[in-house]
Amino acid sequence: MKTDALHAVRLARTDLKLLGRNYVALFNVMVLPLLFGFLYLQMTEDPTFVLSGMPGILLIFTAFLNLVNTFTARREELVLKRLRGGQSSAAAIFGGAGLGALAVFVFQVVLLIVLTNRYAGALPTNPVPMIVGGLLGVAVFALLAAAFSGITPSAEMAQLTPMPVLIVLMFAAPLAWPLDQMPAALEIVSRVLPVTPVMELMRAGYYGASLGEMSVYVATLLGWVAVSALLVKLFFRWDPRHN
Amino acid sequence: MTTAIDVTGLRQSYGDFEAVRGITFDVRQGELFALLGTNGAGKTTTMEVLAGYSRPSGGSVRVLGLDPVKARRQLRPRMSIMLQEAGFLGDLTVAETVELWRGMAKDAGREPLTGNPIELVELTSKAKVKVKQLSGGQKRRLDLALAILSLPEVLFLDEPTTGMDPEARQRTWEIVRSLREAGTTILLTTHYLEEAERLADRLAIMHEGVIRIAGTVDEVVATSGDQLSFRLPERHELLPAIEDRPPSIAGGRAAYKVYGSAHGAMRELLDWADKYQVDLERLEVRPGTLDDVFLRVAKEAK
Ligand SMILES: Nc1ncnc2c1ncn2[C@@H]1O[C@H](COP(=O)(O)OP(=O)(O)OP(=O)(O)O)[C@@H](O)[C@H]1O
Ligand SMILES: [Mg+2]
Repeated sequence: MKTDALHAVRLARTDLKLLGRNYVALFNVMVLPLLFGFLYLQMTEDPTFVLSGMPGILLIFTAFLNLVNTFTARREELVLKRLRGGQSSAAAIFGGAGLGALAVFVFQVVLLIVLTNRYAGALPTNPVPMIVGGLLGVAVFALLAAAFSGITPSAEMAQLTPMPVLIVLMFAAPLAWPLDQMPAALEIVSRVLPVTPVMELMRAGYYGASLGEMSVYVATLLGWVAVSALLVKLFFRWDPRHN
Repeated sequence: MTTAIDVTGLRQSYGDFEAVRGITFDVRQGELFALLGTNGAGKTTTMEVLAGYSRPSGGSVRVLGLDPVKARRQLRPRMSIMLQEAGFLGDLTVAETVELWRGMAKDAGREPLTGNPIELVELTSKAKVKVKQLSGGQKRRLDLALAILSLPEVLFLDEPTTGMDPEARQRTWEIVRSLREAGTTILLTTHYLEEAERLADRLAIMHEGVIRIAGTVDEVVATSGDQLSFRLPERHELLPAIEDRPPSIAGGRAAYKVYGSAHGAMRELLDWADKYQVDLERLEVRPGTLDDVFLRVAKEAK
């Protein structure tokens, strides 16, 4: 366990170093989600509401899309094969990828908190639901990314295969409109998606929420952790040669 | 001597294609065993099963007495593999790559190589270069450095010198020898038979998933007899059959492949030459080689 943790930290630090050297990935992870956020801000009269939900959208880019790409490229280039034959366990390799994404995500959320304060004068009052939502959110999306890499045949296709997920998540996420103002059918869909509980837990940090509500969101995320771990077991591949 | 690697009736299939069809061999502690064979013989497949990449579809394998898949966690720090083909994180420099691997070995409780692995494989001038900019042979050297820096008890080397220039190959042999002298158990595959002859204590030759022949280098080479050859004489239609076989004639030379030693055959041949007053020009006796055995194994199977 201790070895795994040490390895994961080492791999995460390497990932961050590599992210700094890869300008395309850096743009996709850092700039693109901010552009989306800016667009949404133009459409709303309640900037705190939009900005406080933004971390959910960030996760799609920082954890999901970025890691689908990383996992796929590394598998095809036989880097995963090398890692797996080395000292690290599978848990450490996944953990490292997740931890790297978490570091970027934390940086982005802090940036958002500062921006929200500047732009709308609001500050979060309760960090606990934000931390829980963030951690579980990164775990879910990192696992989903690993599973998706398994059905993505090449690094080029990594822009394409996650598209359906991206569209559904972006469309149904309660970013500009609160859940209870959505059409009933959309609201049901939105509530079961993994972005929604992350956004709502982040917002709970600003607006507060009942323990009951928050437990439902945490339970939804835990459910997604289980589902995505199962998907990883089914679809993830270490080696392009083995189909 | 204890057994470090034990392979019993190993079978491995990909879909309905059986790449390894029941092979048995063992490697003793501190021994260097070479696994030779034609392309597609199943060498890489065997190595990857031993390194715990996949579960065998039949038979059993043990490394240091442990199941490489089930006891992966215990085995991982004690063994290391240089894969035939594996990628690097191309944007890291050579030094960063080695540092990452050294760190991982330390995290796993290994006491890594004391010297600088980059110097050992003579990449010092490339230490600050990104790995993606290395040449093929340089990448292979980095590969070797990564495989040995944790000083494993069991080391798998899958075609370590392919793509290396002759000097780098010599260097690799020195490194492998010194590891072996330090007690590392090594399983090596190579297509350079000279490499196996120089390094291996024992070897096996595989073809289409089966071990065709195995033993010490001397034992295996001994299965191939000596060869007698000379410039084709004018009266070659009179040449005798030796050990009941006629000479093979090619490129203006006559040659006899003999079972065992050339001693008796040589006498028969010289007697014949005396009798017919033929001068055997450019007479040569060449002992059997590993190449001969390898080619025979590949041919016999056809
Ligand atoms: N993932 C796979 N799917 C299907 N067939 C495979 C797979 N991996 C290997 N094979 C087949 O198994 C056989 C053995 O392959 P292997 O790589 O073990 O050979 P090898 O002895 O290492 O050959 P070489 O000397 O060329 O490296 C080959 O016929 C190969 O095509
Ligand atoms: Mg091979």
